[in-house]
Amino acid sequence: MLILDLIKQEWKKSIRSRGFYKNMVANLFLGIFALYIIIVFLFLGFSLNSMLEKAQTSLSPMEMVNGAMFYLILGALTIRFIMQQLNTFNLPLYQTLPIKRSALVNFLLLKPIFAPINYFTLLVVIPFAVKSVAGYYSGFIAFRFVVSFVFIIWFDSLTAAFLKRKFGSSILAFLSILIVLASIAALEYLKLFSLFAVSKTVFGFIILNPFGMLIPLAAAILAFGLNKRFFFQNYYPERFNQKLKGAKVSTADFSFLNRFGIIGELISLQIKLMLRHKRTRTILLTSAVFLFYGLLFYTHHSNGDGMLFFIAVFMTGILMLMYGQWAVSWDSNHFDSLMTKNIPVRSYITANYYLMMAFNILCFVLTTPYFLFGSKIIYMHIAAFFFNSGVNIFLLLFFSTFNTKRVDLSRSSAMNYQGTTYKSFLIVLPIMFLPMLLVSILSWVASLSVALWTVSLLGLTGILLRKPLITVCINQFNSRKYKLAEGFREQE
Amino acid sequence: MIEVSNLQKVYNGITVLNIQQLSIPQGESFGLVGNNGAGKTTFFRLILDLIEATSGEVHIDGQKVARNDDWKAFTGSFLDEGFLIDFLTPREYFNFVGKLYQKSEGDIALFMESMQDFFNGEILGTKKMIRDFSKGNQKKIGIAAALLGEPKLLILDEPFTALDPSSQIRLKRFLNDLQAASQITMLISSHDLNHITEVCKRIVVLEKGDMVKDLQTNTDTLKELEAYFAV
Repeated sequence: MLILDLIKQEWKKSIRSRGFYKNMVANLFLGIFALYIIIVFLFLGFSLNSMLEKAQTSLSPMEMVNGAMFYLILGALTIRFIMQQLNTFNLPLYQTLPIKRSALVNFLLLKPIFAPINYFTLLVVIPFAVKSVAGYYSGFIAFRFVVSFVFIIWFDSLTAAFLKRKFGSSILAFLSILIVLASIAALEYLKLFSLFAVSKTVFGFIILNPFGMLIPLAAAILAFGLNKRFFFQNYYPERFNQKLKGAKVSTADFSFLNRFGIIGELISLQIKLMLRHKRTRTILLTSAVFLFYGLLFYTHHSNGDGMLFFIAVFMTGILMLMYGQWAVSWDSNHFDSLMTKNIPVRSYITANYYLMMAFNILCFVLTTPYFLFGSKIIYMHIAAFFFNSGVNIFLLLFFSTFNTKRVDLSRSSAMNYQGTTYKSFLIVLPIMFLPMLLVSILSWVASLSVALWTVSLLGLTGILLRKPLITVCINQFNSRKYKLAEGFREQE
Repeated sequence: MIEVSNLQKVYNGITVLNIQQLSIPQGESFGLVGNNGAGKTTFFRLILDLIEATSGEVHIDGQKVARNDDWKAFTGSFLDEGFLIDFLTPREYFNFVGKLYQKSEGDIALFMESMQDFFNGEILGTKKMIRDFSKGNQKKIGIAAALLGEPKLLILDEPFTALDPSSQIRLKRFLNDLQAASQITMLISSHDLNHITEVCKRIVVLEKGDMVKDLQTNTDTLKELEAYFAV
């Protein structure tokens, strides 16, 4: 009963938060995205059997899935480690009430298991079980296959939470997981040790033996126990929150920026902001991952020019795009401070402009290895760089003033949509797809070089006209200033 | 120093502030009292151009405040935690603010030294970020930062709440000394009638957005205010 009350209160917390209704449109976008994922997963589930049957082995589809299982579990664990948000239930709030602590801990641990997102994979598993496992073996085995999978999901979710609580979500921990995964894959590839074979045997037993599914259940219970033990050892929130907070201050010195006066001060402030908050650090990390996007697309020659240009704009501007969407909102916590201290609005906007410009140059330089893919890519990247620096940068500066929601910097991991409204999507759409459309049309009507020259010249014009364009952004900022200040003051 | 004319702020049809005319001369210590919702913070936010007036204007030193940057150079203010940059350490924050007011590193170090007493030795030594400090210490940091630019105009919203008793007395003494030594104009709001009558030469009472009393502080002021607020 108590657990039910707690669940009710959490639910109220989310629907009574001020942002909820304002956020409807953003939620709608996310809903559409979720629907898309559901369809893709279902499609995969129904076609997995025939796909695997075409593979050139003597193994049955289920045996292949079993072989891949350890990889799937480890991969899912890694993804969860980055993406899964720790349940930030306000423990101290309830700790003083006469509620048994173990009930609270159980709630904290078990709540994520009820999150529907965990069971998305079942959209693949169930159709596969019905079509393939039931066909090759029996309906009862298909049922056990699905149930084992649910246990594995529990195990993954609980283990990821435990690892995250224990080690924090440092980049180091993430890298070490990647290294372990890579070395296992390497051993497999070199045929020194096959996790595939081990996995096939183990999961073969789990699914075919009537009591086999007790093994994943035991694993899930073990993971639950580990979590419980963690909370038992770290009884007080201050102890387990320490790991999450990481209160250490990086002492990196940006004093070289001081020569540039107030603008330099503001830029170094912004860099400190990015390095000292989880949410912004995640942005840096995701941006770094997206820099490898080109490897996926440039290796296929079937992509159209517009698509390639889209990728080029995306990669050479990734940091600017990620940062610029919320250029003003990052300061929502201390917006009043910036507005009342001796900072002319021009300096504030100009500082953001230079910072985004620096991001552009950085990303452009980091993506130069793609030049090895040929001269077409070189021209694409240069044109994209100009377009980002002359057109997109101003669009971002201009439209970021429409994001009046407070951004909570402390809460974060990837897939954090706090502070996202439909406006965020409206900003990104033209920035990403307009150049794509432009290049597609021009290279179809005229030629690719005409298209690239056009976007480059557009960009160059923007760079040359930066003074008046910055003034436009300043006027826009000034007219939105009160709305921004008011919106940022509202805590969720 | 400050000229307010026909200032009105309306939220959803409810007038939360309505000041026909008010002028605060240079060097005055101006106190603002009133129950919750009287419009004190709204008034301060309007002076600092953080919200848009429905009608009317505020001028500081003859300049219109709205959409103007010039008054910021000589105005120090602290209303709430939003005036802090909480992911910086106090030292970093003071350095940042000092630079904005064209202070040299030496000036800033000297300033921090002079604040040690007020900080009770608790703030400058550690490498903690401002967000990890207690509310009282955050308030001290904010008040200190407001003073860092040697402002001609100082605006503090309830500076005494959340401070420990010693710090309240120190702050009171500090503000009185500041007032005596320089021609600073101070706007202070408070719920503590004792403190405000000790610090301010003029006290204005707001009620539901209207100025209902405008008093020059004398020996009877405290009694008068207590009588006014008695229920």
